[in-house]
Amino acid sequence: MMECSNTNNNSNCPQSCINSRFDSMIENCCEYAERAREAGKPIIGIMCEYTPRELIMAAGGIPVCLCGGSEEKIAPAENDLPTALCPLIKSTYGYCCTQTNPFLEMSDLLVAETTCDGKKKMYELMARRKDMMVLELPQKPDAPHAMDHWLSELRRFRSFLETRYDRKIADAGIWKAIETMNLERALRRRLAEMNKQTPSVWSGLQLLAYKSIISGIDEDLEEYRRLIACGANAAGSEKQSCVRVLLTGVPTVHGAERVVEIIENAGGAVVCMENCTGIKPLLEDVSMDASDPMEALASKYMHLPCSVMTPNTRRLEILRRLADEYDAECVIELVWQGCLTYDVESYYVRQIAEEMSLPYLKLVTDYSPSDSARIALRVEALMETALRAQA
Amino acid sequence: MITAGIDAGSRAIKIVLFDIQRQTVFATAVCDQGTNQKVRARRLYDNLLRENGLGHKAIRTLVATGYGRHMLDFCDTTVTEISCHAAGVLHHVSDATTVIDIGGQDSKLIRVGADGKVRDFVMNDRCAAGTGRFLEVVSQRLNIPLDALGPAAERSEHPAKISSMCVVFAETEIIGLLAGGQSCENIIAGVQRSIAQRTVAMGGKDIAPPVVFTGGVALISGMKEALERLLELPVNICPAPQFTGALGASILAAKYET
Ligand code: SF4
Ligand code: SF4
Repeated sequence: MMECSNTNNNSNCPQSCINSRFDSMIENCCEYAERAREAGKPIIGIMCEYTPRELIMAAGGIPVCLCGGSEEKIAPAENDLPTALCPLIKSTYGYCCTQTNPFLEMSDLLVAETTCDGKKKMYELMARRKDMMVLELPQKPDAPHAMDHWLSELRRFRSFLETRYDRKIADAGIWKAIETMNLERALRRRLAEMNKQTPSVWSGLQLLAYKSIISGIDEDLEEYRRLIACGANAAGSEKQSCVRVLLTGVPTVHGAERVVEIIENAGGAVVCMENCTGIKPLLEDVSMDASDPMEALASKYMHLPCSVMTPNTRRLEILRRLADEYDAECVIELVWQGCLTYDVESYYVRQIAEEMSLPYLKLVTDYSPSDSARIALRVEALMETALRAQA
Repeated sequence: MITAGIDAGSRAIKIVLFDIQRQTVFATAVCDQGTNQKVRARRLYDNLLRENGLGHKAIRTLVATGYGRHMLDFCDTTVTEISCHAAGVLHHVSDATTVIDIGGQDSKLIRVGADGKVRDFVMNDRCAAGTGRFLEVVSQRLNIPLDALGPAAERSEHPAKISSMCVVFAETEIIGLLAGGQSCENIIAGVQRSIAQRTVAMGGKDIAPPVVFTGGVALISGMKEALERLLELPVNICPAPQFTGALGASILAAKYET
């Protein structure tokens, strides 16, 4: 019914940004990790955006994200884990118990945090196979003791790495890693922010694809620069008549992009993703003004507005701001089945959408495509509602 | 000027021809869904036009809705059943605020704004327990035809408690209730209440009158009363409820140029 120029193959864009280095992201990362390992650098697996990659990099390690996006890995995981658990947790664990994630197999160490209960308990099982460092994340971000505790956890992590890899981590090394990560965040942010304009430059699927499970790879940073230039040339070249969607909620990791695809096939343009695979971890940089890099790191990561925090007011403020800046015409919230924290928090998100007179839709699903047609129906109806609200 | 709406639902195909100038239904047709929805829908449509002495050119726009809407490639465009049900209901009850639509495998609750536009909607997820499918299961299990369910429910004194969240398990629960000596009447009334509960729960506390009930299940006696008891509000059954989707599609068709 809807004519939409901003579908997966963004017709605004020349072929050169449709074909990106990130098309072979997994292969690139595999090659990179293998080379690093041969050079004696440890591969260190992470599973959440609270982990400061900077500390791992300063210790000479390679941080790799191990979050699972494959439906196939869920059945084997259910031998050990309850069915009712979030698919992201099950899939990550499924890779572990079937020994099929090359990056996990290569890992020398895993870093985890006390975020949601499901992850926390799954990590215990995962720790049977690999050494694991668990950081205790305070969950009342604005409580007076929270920052102190988080800082002491990061300091503990730093000395743990120093002992394990028998090397001193100098402040200068941490600052250097911070600089690299800030640069990567800035580039990815620039790319994402190009979608503030109407018509937007990238589809949600493109933005999801334009990133890597390993941070700080030089060629990737170069590719971000190229894509930014490429997008700037292509921008605004075509009339766009799709509904601008602000997607929020749980992360859609590599392999679990189904819902974004459904939205964009139904005439939506996912212009902004307020989640951990979207803009959420990019919104704040690590301050370079502080005298102690550890304090700077603690502060940035503590501020990440995940639903495991209580109260998580930062997320709500950010949502209001993003809806505004990206000219959103509706809000779609994705909640993985079994994710209690995002599910409960959706109460406030709906409220905000209503306050801003934006049509709102909450989708609760998992990795199985069995409900795709039903999701599509709801998304199409939301688009009709949004279009009629404009009319 | 005549427009057409085809509702390719999970159980039946329904067509409405709508006279835009007079704002009235011109003709309707219905048939079972069968295995080849597209062929059956096309045949039903052609026959309906022929019976009414209309050529294909006489129809300005043809809109498909319902579960199979994307399969009907001879239609001009598709609109979801959510927008269509709202438009169809509003044709009959112009101040409707809440639309409850219970069909063969779906149940929906649609809130309509004062401007007659869909404000918000909720739908059942992966499970069919709150839908017409549940009534079919009971009817088969108890060997009581669908149209006799209502009168039977009316004779119930203590509706049985059905708590299963899934049709398959609910069927097991019914077998257990029968074995425990529950009467068919109480079981039917219990199932009707459970469907109503499921639907009302989807809407949260925000269900405002006038409430209009549509979809095939609205025709099954006892369901309207079950909803009224839970909502503590009067519930109006939409006229010709099985045609609401197709009617809405034919009305919305007027807004799409071909
Ligand atoms: S959503 Fe929360 S738990 Fe998941 S990766 Fe992000 S910060 Fe970590
Ligand atoms: S989506 Fe929710 S349940 Fe799943 S890992 Fe993230 S916070 Fe935990």
